[in-house]
Amino acid sequence: MFRINLIKLILLLFLVSPIPVWSGVNKTEKIILDEKGNPIPFALVKVDDQPAQPVDEEGKTPSLQSGERVLIFALGYQTQQLTWEEWIDAQQIILEEKSSQLGEVVVSATRTERSVEELPIPVTVLNSEKIQETGGIRLSEILREQTGLQISSDHGAGLQMQGLDSDYILILLDGEPLIGRTAGTFDLDRISVSNIDRIEILRGPSSAIYGSEAMAGVVNIITKSPSEKSKIDFSLRQRSFNTWNPGLEVGLVHKNWTTDLFLDHYKTDGFDLSPETVGQTQNPYQATTTQVKISGEISPKLSLSLFGRGYLENSDGLLQSGSSADPQVLTLENERQDFNLNPTLRFKPHENWLFTLRAMTSWFSTLSDSRFQSSGKSFDFQDFSQFYHRSELQTDYQISANQLLTLGMGQLTEAVEATRYDDNNRFDAGYVFVQHQWDPGQKINLVSGLRADFHSQYGQRLSPKISGQYRISENLSWQGSLGAGFKAPDFRQLLLNFNNAASGYYVFGATLAEEGISQLQEQGLVAQILLNPKNLGELKAETSWAINTGFRWKVNQHASLQVNAFRNNIDNLIETAPIAQLVTGQNAFSYFNVRSVITQGLEVDAQIQLSEKLRLSAGYALLDTRDQEVVEQIENGEVFKRNDQNQTRKVTRADYGGLFNRSRHSGNVKLNYREQFTGTDWSLRAIYRGKFGFADRNGNLILDDESEYADGWISLNFTTSKTLKNGIFLEAGGTNLLNTATPAEPNNPGRVLFLGIKLPILNLIN
Amino acid sequence: MKTIHNLFLSTAFAFLLFACQSNSNPDPVVPLAATLVEDLAAPNDNIDRTTGEIIEERPFQFFSLEQNSLVAENEDWDLAFKGTTIRVNSEKNVQAAVVSGIFEEITEVPANATFATDTETSFAIPTGSGNGWYNYNSSTFTVTPIPGRVLLVQTTEGNYSKIEILSYYQGNPPVEEIDPRTTPSGYYTFRYLLQPNGSTSF
Repeated sequence: MFRINLIKLILLLFLVSPIPVWSGVNKTEKIILDEKGNPIPFALVKVDDQPAQPVDEEGKTPSLQSGERVLIFALGYQTQQLTWEEWIDAQQIILEEKSSQLGEVVVSATRTERSVEELPIPVTVLNSEKIQETGGIRLSEILREQTGLQISSDHGAGLQMQGLDSDYILILLDGEPLIGRTAGTFDLDRISVSNIDRIEILRGPSSAIYGSEAMAGVVNIITKSPSEKSKIDFSLRQRSFNTWNPGLEVGLVHKNWTTDLFLDHYKTDGFDLSPETVGQTQNPYQATTTQVKISGEISPKLSLSLFGRGYLENSDGLLQSGSSADPQVLTLENERQDFNLNPTLRFKPHENWLFTLRAMTSWFSTLSDSRFQSSGKSFDFQDFSQFYHRSELQTDYQISANQLLTLGMGQLTEAVEATRYDDNNRFDAGYVFVQHQWDPGQKINLVSGLRADFHSQYGQRLSPKISGQYRISENLSWQGSLGAGFKAPDFRQLLLNFNNAASGYYVFGATLAEEGISQLQEQGLVAQILLNPKNLGELKAETSWAINTGFRWKVNQHASLQVNAFRNNIDNLIETAPIAQLVTGQNAFSYFNVRSVITQGLEVDAQIQLSEKLRLSAGYALLDTRDQEVVEQIENGEVFKRNDQNQTRKVTRADYGGLFNRSRHSGNVKLNYREQFTGTDWSLRAIYRGKFGFADRNGNLILDDESEYADGWISLNFTTSKTLKNGIFLEAGGTNLLNTATPAEPNNPGRVLFLGIKLPILNLIN
Repeated sequence: MKTIHNLFLSTAFAFLLFACQSNSNPDPVVPLAATLVEDLAAPNDNIDRTTGEIIEERPFQFFSLEQNSLVAENEDWDLAFKGTTIRVNSEKNVQAAVVSGIFEEITEVPANATFATDTETSFAIPTGSGNGWYNYNSSTFTVTPIPGRVLLVQTTEGNYSKIEILSYYQGNPPVEEIDPRTTPSGYYTFRYLLQPNGSTSF
């Protein structure tokens, strides 16, 4: 049984370099084919403990030294094991394709390559086909169609997973963390999907290997691997709201080195859900993404890859300010920039050892300039710039055929400079982590991990996690995991120094509170100290414990089912609260660890191949959330509600609907059809979002009344695509075809229609 | 202020309550009337949103619970309103407490209610969202009275009254209709009940 896969990494290394043509006639030459009879050019053959050997471009095997057992494997295919005698007799070896997504390889779950079916935690992999069938251009458009994920609109398109907000979801690009959050939200619209190879979605905390932010889960965006041969692809997409998205992809192969260049431009007029007011719901903006990936082999044991990405976004719009009697129109200009540099060095001195040295350096900045339209005088000017650097050494050691040990250590530095912060603020942190993957028996596999984080501002934190899988039968396996998650207090919570001049309140980060209050006292502005900043104590990390458990069942050749149940217990959630009352009657605020929240639910995904041409899949998510403090107050009879007739009554536990912006029920149904007459692929998806708490209406700030819910709705999405013989790719389709307006979701523009084309220019010339 | 008028809000429930008590109590009981005050205009200072400077300072509006009308600052006022701030007349030793409960069900000044008057550094009715009579909803930018918050005030005459604030916006509109940018704010609608005999029961 070959299950733990350090060796797959070699496979990647081989893929990096074009495979040399194997010369010389070889009597033992076999050919490795898929079920349709096409050669699998990336298959590997391994005899006993000898290094695995790749086949050539035609699927032909190299000459092998004799042994006892021969393993033939390829990504996405069922591994075959033959005895030497069987091998000698065989002319061709046919590998069966793994069904559904189970054969997909996941790197982010264990930081080593393992296929989905071997992972003891819930994982979804979206490959390029699934990305393409959504017709999406930005990452949010892909993720919103997945079971259990929601996109919420709060300072950008933020992801919600297992009932937790964007703040608690780590976003990785090729395994490296992305930075740049506004009010905690990572705006998924910043990520263009045109050159994404696949997306891995891990649910449940992964702080045991990733540290802070990996509390609800991790989304790893994997950019396309270097091409096998040179190419120039031009693509163009056009959409409703005068949206244009041209892109260019250039792949160059030279000896052992490949270079991929990617350019993407996005321009839209935006949209307006409330034409009666000045300004649009989404302002016109344009964004350019540039990516370069260079990778190659320095020596057979040493490979290098360099990745660079730049993102530049500009938007402008209008906003009405002031009172209705004296309206003032403001012009807004916003700019956002993001640069990432990520070199990775891989050294494999021995079959059982792999060293990976990687670094990620990022710069993120925003600038917003609002002015009075009439006078051009400045109304508000804010800038924010953040620097992030991380370097890390990971060592993988294959202890034995069924044990793989991973050790990591790293250092990170973060700095922020902004209008709302004093001086230059800097964090330093270090961490070590260890992970053990172990298959104690044929039916059991375990992954356990522990990570220690040391931070200059908030101290240290240990995050353990253990997960296991039991194969009940060949087709049915059960998974369970228990893990800790945390989110470190961010710059805002620690170091913000903000004064809202208009309404006269102050907000101090926890470390500045004491100093800030004493300054206000010197100025004679403090009327009363509500909480002595000296007694506040240090702001602690937000922490969670989570359990995830479920099963994967391959019902038969054509149908499969995945189920996962989860519960997250989150403590020490950080909130603002007043610490001093000012003579003006306003307050000064700071940040505290106060709330405890529970999110729990169930996620089910099923796929069935109805015929050769027709595939049906469906997903359902049940979500239940609550704020423990609110529940306690309700139970103590301290919360009231008032109706339109001014009748007041106590809020009961049954009234309480949990956290805002969470749908108790959500799901999707997707149909994929391959129309053979025209050779087009059709994909019809219905995405349901159940009713969710939108805003407090009755003044008690909690979700406890029917009027506080936004209606559920269905987004009907359709894509059709066709690849012509000469490689030209065409697509057309639409999202939200029923044109359902959802004022509670400002990120939904209504119906969007699109057309797209991709031209493989180099192919066409040749 | 548009109108101030009386409402006889003696609910059947209250009647039953008093009826029960009157069996054991020989004193005749006069049902107390709750008074509804609508659109008491007390807008906040006009503040420049860029600099925070006060462009136009506006006066407090002084209200007498005893007279059920606005009065001058030098008269016997109990409460003074401006923006979301409510002062009590500390010179006349007006005291106030904030309690939780249902207006009709508060038939007695609770023993644990802590009465205080305004000082240089503190308000008897605390300001700030969630502290006193209102919540500020930062997602909808609206000020809403906290349901179940009742203000108890001992007036200039020493009588107890209970007050429930119902709206902060002109015309007491349903919350869905409030647009914080256009709906005029600083317009108080509240109801109160005054026990003129000096006792602590309502």
